[in-house]
Amino acid sequence: MHKRIENSPFSDLIVVELADTPAGEQVGKLLADAGATVVKVEPRAGVSSRHIGPWRDGVVGPNESLSFWAYNTSKQSVVIDEPDAYSGPLADLLDRADVVVTTDGPARLAERGISPDALRRGRDSLIVVSVSPFGLTGPWADYRTSDLVGLAVGGPLHSCGYDDHTIPPILPGGNQAFQNAASFAVQGLLLALIERFDGGGGQVVDVSMHESNAVSCELANPYWFYPKVLVKRQTARHAQPTRTSPELFECVDGYVYFALILGDLHQWKAVVTWMDEHGLAEDLTDEAYTDLAHRQKRFSHVQEVFEAFFARLDAQTLYLEGQERGVPIGPLRAFEELSTDEHLQARGFFVDVPLADGTAVMFPGSPLVSSGFAPRPSRPPRLDEHGDLGVGRSR
Amino acid sequence: MGGEQIAERVPGVRRGPLSGVKVADFCWMGVGAVATRMLADFGAEVIRIEDRDRPDLPRRLPLYKGEVRAYGDIDPNPDPNKGGLFNNYNRNKLGITLNMRTEKGREIAERLIADSGIVTENFAPGVLEKWGLTRERIEELRPGSILARMAGFGHDGPHHRFRSYGPVIQAVCGLSFNSGLPGREPSAWGMSYMDNQAAYYNAIALMTAIYHRKRTGEGMYLDVSAVEAGIGLLGPDLLDTLVNGRPSRRPDFPRGNRLEFPDAAPHGVYPASGEDQWIAVAVFDEKDWSALVEVMGRPEWAIDDRFATMQARLENVDALDALLGEWTVAYDKHTLMHLLQKAGVTAGAVQNSRDLVETDPQIAARGTFFELDHPVIGPALFEGIPMRLSGSEQHNWRSAPLMGEDNDHVLSRVLGMDADEIGRLAAEGII
Repeated sequence: MHKRIENSPFSDLIVVELADTPAGEQVGKLLADAGATVVKVEPRAGVSSRHIGPWRDGVVGPNESLSFWAYNTSKQSVVIDEPDAYSGPLADLLDRADVVVTTDGPARLAERGISPDALRRGRDSLIVVSVSPFGLTGPWADYRTSDLVGLAVGGPLHSCGYDDHTIPPILPGGNQAFQNAASFAVQGLLLALIERFDGGGGQVVDVSMHESNAVSCELANPYWFYPKVLVKRQTARHAQPTRTSPELFECVDGYVYFALILGDLHQWKAVVTWMDEHGLAEDLTDEAYTDLAHRQKRFSHVQEVFEAFFARLDAQTLYLEGQERGVPIGPLRAFEELSTDEHLQARGFFVDVPLADGTAVMFPGSPLVSSGFAPRPSRPPRLDEHGDLGVGRSR
Repeated sequence: MGGEQIAERVPGVRRGPLSGVKVADFCWMGVGAVATRMLADFGAEVIRIEDRDRPDLPRRLPLYKGEVRAYGDIDPNPDPNKGGLFNNYNRNKLGITLNMRTEKGREIAERLIADSGIVTENFAPGVLEKWGLTRERIEELRPGSILARMAGFGHDGPHHRFRSYGPVIQAVCGLSFNSGLPGREPSAWGMSYMDNQAAYYNAIALMTAIYHRKRTGEGMYLDVSAVEAGIGLLGPDLLDTLVNGRPSRRPDFPRGNRLEFPDAAPHGVYPASGEDQWIAVAVFDEKDWSALVEVMGRPEWAIDDRFATMQARLENVDALDALLGEWTVAYDKHTLMHLLQKAGVTAGAVQNSRDLVETDPQIAARGTFFELDHPVIGPALFEGIPMRLSGSEQHNWRSAPLMGEDNDHVLSRVLGMDADEIGRLAAEGII
């Protein structure tokens, strides 16, 4: 069963999730991990994420999908056949709900007999969070999307890829187009909760994944707003109007990220001293290099010496030794290296989550650390696990 | 929603769900500024506290109208009121200057904190403590305060003092390793993605604390680590490693633009007509594929057995990608996007910022970007909020504050100082 999160601001919040994308599912997950009761309404076969791998131990089935697990911890699952928002079990559930989350555009919602405004009819305090591909209005409102297409049309993809522009822009992993939308949807929901607490009613929060990505391009938009230039993608570093020098360095067992700020003499000295202690500073210890113009003139040589230095050490050594000296350097961590990181372990970030079969698996914990309450994921629900309880009906 | 042209820059009554909320905002750079911008957009009185001698980097970055410079190509004598990035990050906020290295400066900060009850900061750990602004002191100044801290690695743990900015966070949390072609160096991110996402998570934490305080009167201490927020965004691939023990260091990972889960083929970014122009196409099932084949006019290659089923297409995906690319390259990316979308194929032009601002009818119709006037920059565009709320107001009242623009207003109206006192503070270099 769903674990109660003590002193959670969301402990009496009931959320009904009619979501079928990671954008909506992540909204429900963040709330559920933080203590809300999130009831996921599913068709008899389960939502689509239950049918996407990877599979736990390679076992294919609706309760074994790690795509489902990733976005559906701490929730309850109820199968409702022929869901009708205006009569029957879904209507009963919605009558008791504070929030409903939907993820379709207007045409597909209409096919399901749903419209965000109609959901609120007779339910004045209900907050409808719609987190749809392009928003509920506008000429593209019924266009289709995906993670790749969302990042493409929204702009972030234009900045991501390799220096070699014969290679197309490359998709950053992890469903980030959906994640940008989810982050805004939770912000919108909180604004609506605050509005409602202060005496307003419920409302429709219409979040557009497309716009969420379009406002998450960092420097690209200001570069167009102000100097009217387009940025160009560059391998593992900021897309910029002009080509910059590489910031990804190969080391013994992978890569590290390090941006040499040539104009920063303090950083220059710190790095050169460090390299010198390993006997790998070559001529960079020469006093002449304390002059910026000299560093600039000899830049390609400087870059080569740096490359040779990084190539001799492993990522962890470079990370710890560099950071101890105040050098902002980061190892490109592979996933298997995350849970053994001493810092994350000391902060107790990864948590063991008990499953229904008595075993436990490790999940990333909540990024929301506060003195007031302790969000924490509990296991994802099995399909229709809470159907018998009639959650929301029996209260 | 949308812009309003207001000549008057003097702060008035704020509107929106967060009106009445006050924030003493020590944030700077990207993460902090974007987090508190969300509060300011919806009615909170966010008072940015700045150091005249150490202007925020976005104030110094030369993203200027009419002058093209790279990010690292610093203007030696920047006008702190001219920076476009600062303007974009700090609209709707008030701005005061305060020299926190002086006792009087710290005293004024304490009075502001007592008046505000919310403190936000994203300095390196230790800076706030150096000023005596511990969690306990803040609680003393105003019981029930909210203190939101936004460091890259959080505020405890052995690496909490490590230096971080977007690309370092992305490296450490796995989001850089996660992206690229198999067998090559990671392509990672072309931006500080985590400056945005960590900001959004901080805004979520702040609004959760505000909601909690409204309900209970209790304050809250918040510590959102950007690295941890980033790990939370890795998704099913991370669980594949944690639960199944499958290493991510393997020859076929990351996957470039292809997917492993779910099955999808074609799934990629294909050339369109023009230099470095592209279109993304995602085909998840047979219905999508049939629609794509029809749009292409049923070319012989597409009805070949090699591509007849999803399984077959996945087995012949290199050939499929090459052949599809030969077809897409003849089209303008937007023309093709509409052709495919109207046929029911998920597709999108790889849009750049010019496309978003000038030709994207969806962005235009939704009013995502809006304009406000600025005393130095003039009329300027802003990245708005990607949502519409039917029952809450977004209140865009002013572009970003000039350096120290609201000193008089804040010191007189909020702290009750008279003109003489404010004049003395200015003369002494306190403000």
